[in-house]
Amino acid sequence: MQRKGAQREGILQQLADMGGASTAAVAQVAKQTGVPEADVWGAGLFYGLLRRDPQNTLVCNGLSCRIQGAEQLRHQLTEQGVATQSVACLGLCDVAPAAVGPALLPLPACDQPAHVLPNNPDLPINLGGERDRSYRGLGAALKLGADAVIAELQAAGLQGRGGAGFPAHLKWRSVRNQTDPTRYVVCNADEGEPGTFKDREVIRRQPDKLLEGLAIAAHVVQATEIYIYLRGEFERERRILQSAIDDACHGPLAGLQFHIVRGQGAYVCGEETALLESLEGRRGMPRLKPPFPTERGFRNKPTLIHNVETLACVPDIALRGGVRFASLGRREPGAKLYCISGHVQRPGVYELPLGVSLDELVACAGGYVGTPQAFSPGGASSGFLPMSERSRPLDFASLGQVGAMLGSAGAVVLNDTADLVLAVHWQLSFFEHESCGQCAPCRLGSRWVRQALDRYLASGDPGELSDVLDVAWEMNEGSICGLGQVASLPLTSAMQHFPEQFGRRPVTQEHHHG
Amino acid sequence: MAETLTIHIDGRTLVAQSGETVLQVAKRNHIAIPTLCHDERLDAAGCCRACLVEIDGQRRLQPACNWPVSKELRVQTSSPRVQRHRATLLGLYVADHRLDSDGLPVHTTQGNDLRSLAQGIEFKRLLSIDSPRHPRGVDANPYIAYDPDLCILCARCTRYCDEVEAVSAISLAWRGAETSIATAGDRGLLDTSCELCGGCVDVCPTGAMHAKQAPRFEKPEAVQKVRTTCNFCGVGCQLDLNVQEGKIIQVTAPPPGETVNDGNLCVKGRFAYGFVHHDDRLRTPKIRGADGELHDATWDEALHYAAKGLLGVRDRHGPHALGFVSSSRCTNEENYLVQKLARAVFQTNNVHQCAAT
Repeated sequence: MQRKGAQREGILQQLADMGGASTAAVAQVAKQTGVPEADVWGAGLFYGLLRRDPQNTLVCNGLSCRIQGAEQLRHQLTEQGVATQSVACLGLCDVAPAAVGPALLPLPACDQPAHVLPNNPDLPINLGGERDRSYRGLGAALKLGADAVIAELQAAGLQGRGGAGFPAHLKWRSVRNQTDPTRYVVCNADEGEPGTFKDREVIRRQPDKLLEGLAIAAHVVQATEIYIYLRGEFERERRILQSAIDDACHGPLAGLQFHIVRGQGAYVCGEETALLESLEGRRGMPRLKPPFPTERGFRNKPTLIHNVETLACVPDIALRGGVRFASLGRREPGAKLYCISGHVQRPGVYELPLGVSLDELVACAGGYVGTPQAFSPGGASSGFLPMSERSRPLDFASLGQVGAMLGSAGAVVLNDTADLVLAVHWQLSFFEHESCGQCAPCRLGSRWVRQALDRYLASGDPGELSDVLDVAWEMNEGSICGLGQVASLPLTSAMQHFPEQFGRRPVTQEHHHG
Repeated sequence: MAETLTIHIDGRTLVAQSGETVLQVAKRNHIAIPTLCHDERLDAAGCCRACLVEIDGQRRLQPACNWPVSKELRVQTSSPRVQRHRATLLGLYVADHRLDSDGLPVHTTQGNDLRSLAQGIEFKRLLSIDSPRHPRGVDANPYIAYDPDLCILCARCTRYCDEVEAVSAISLAWRGAETSIATAGDRGLLDTSCELCGGCVDVCPTGAMHAKQAPRFEKPEAVQKVRTTCNFCGVGCQLDLNVQEGKIIQVTAPPPGETVNDGNLCVKGRFAYGFVHHDDRLRTPKIRGADGELHDATWDEALHYAAKGLLGVRDRHGPHALGFVSSSRCTNEENYLVQKLARAVFQTNNVHQCAAT
């Protein structure tokens, strides 16, 4: 008997194959699958890639791209007769300003390899090294056995690298201990946090380590089916990953079924339960927790979900032990992939001890460009910090102490040529655009806060911002998921750390109309 | 097997059954927790956030509608934190709603739960939000309309359409502040799977989904509700005639849990009341006279006339020349009487029921 809902799981890809959620495509998919037409329509219209014109070149308007001239790039392309549309973030912050063509491959101008550290076999992921197809970590894990692998993870102190920093071993143990015999392993490769492109680089350079980590996870939690939810714009990465799977599926990965599912352009699907909804062919609206995915996740079964980087650390932990991995960090355990972009010499992904400072990170990236005035330590949702925090360890606890967060470790530096208030405005617009719309604090709050900033930019009157802190408080307290909880942080953190920039403001022509 | 346990809400020790939610226990004990997206017939969505409470051991506020009770659970429903949350959340809702001259969410004939909440809480006043929902096209159906400006996206209508009616004619569509209630391709309801049951109207807490035939903004005190039995079929659904100055202005379902239909109605019961006040409605029996015209008669006269005609056919052509077809509007008992009439009185088995095709 066919499992209930099985037909629904494919609808988003079917719509994508038909060029998007047009009325004709929706009707046909509904007919083919038996999923109610309104549901197909509602799900399809949720996703940016299903609403785009498939002929368009997508130009990124994320913060890193904006400060490097995204507007001019779009203007140039338009002059060359290229049809363009502006999109929220493409995960190409290191080659800003970024754009991808209709086939979702980067334009040649922004298609250079990312800067990484040179080969260093001591590093767990070692982006600069030869591609490691040895699967030695998997061999070691099988020899250790499931409980010992979990013990190594615990010794490693591995925290989720997607942003939440939840201890990995707790999730593994929870899934392993469920009574339901059907379990799934899901990889969150929907990297979308502006300023973040580390998972992309792992897939480009060391895809086998990710697959190896997934295989170890599957063996430990006794799953045979693995789903990789990959950001839709990562078309090249999808091909790399598929070919890595094909290479190993009769060898080290035998007995496991890998499925790559393409995301369709919704930042919120990086939230694990929204991701599960999307995997099941629905609107990417986060679920209420509890139950947590470890108890009831994909198809309502126990599910282990991890970020790409977290999984890519696992082979090294299995091979060389948790204690060694832990010793790579400073105040918190392990090495960490840091992304750095914005006003620095060599934007890239650098694998460094967890807890380096911004200055150390930027030193790897060849230094600052100009005079830095502010930085975002961990992606758009981590807010802005002043340069007085440049020596603060970039780790989970230390950034939490100043109301910021490590998040996905996508640091962005702004120098004094950038208008911080406008930068805040871009970040707020991003969250407003990406809010799923399910819960009122986020849906209404993100728009209210952005419009308050609009009014401030139009009038120059700081009084327009007087209720911002109340609304931000409610967004944090009342929202279902992390997106809404932090969506006003770019503004509140900037107001806290840069009060002088939020005084009476000269009204520019550009914003006079609001 | 449900287990009996105790929980503590606002310091009161209360008995609960495992499997219940905090909201259910609170309700039973008359502890007021506001809700907007809740409906007992639907799975908890927890999306309106009105029912968030403080739960001991939880860092975040949690929705009472979805939080399962557990032994010695401690809940605060009106701590300063919960009150600040409610006041600000309501402020956001109000800033996104159509308001009356007092700055309160407008009253609608169906009521408006947001207005009732706003009248009971000192909420945070915020400048209004410019947040037009994605527009909906022309919809020629005669019964149901959607006013996006009053919609709070609680999704009761879409969830009801899916979970209770299993019709799924409407869905949440678009995203973020643009999110709206849509049909596939924004078509009119007549061109969808919609059965026009109007359940979406009944579950709407703010009057965004409304009945086209009904006046929109009547005051509740001007409307009297008369409970009656639907006469369109034998199920016996209860309905509330909403009467104003002797006229039915709309029909609503009694609240879920009170009557056999559990808050549900079909298109006929809810919308087909136009005949009640129609000029062409028959108000007395009529008998066609020798002049070929229909003339008013009493029930006795009419029944005697019909009986005479039936007996005449039987006497002239035998009982099998007669056949009896009862209406689908009849109850079981009435159908029984019809077959008894056919078999016992007229001695024929020619009996049928129009719904038994």
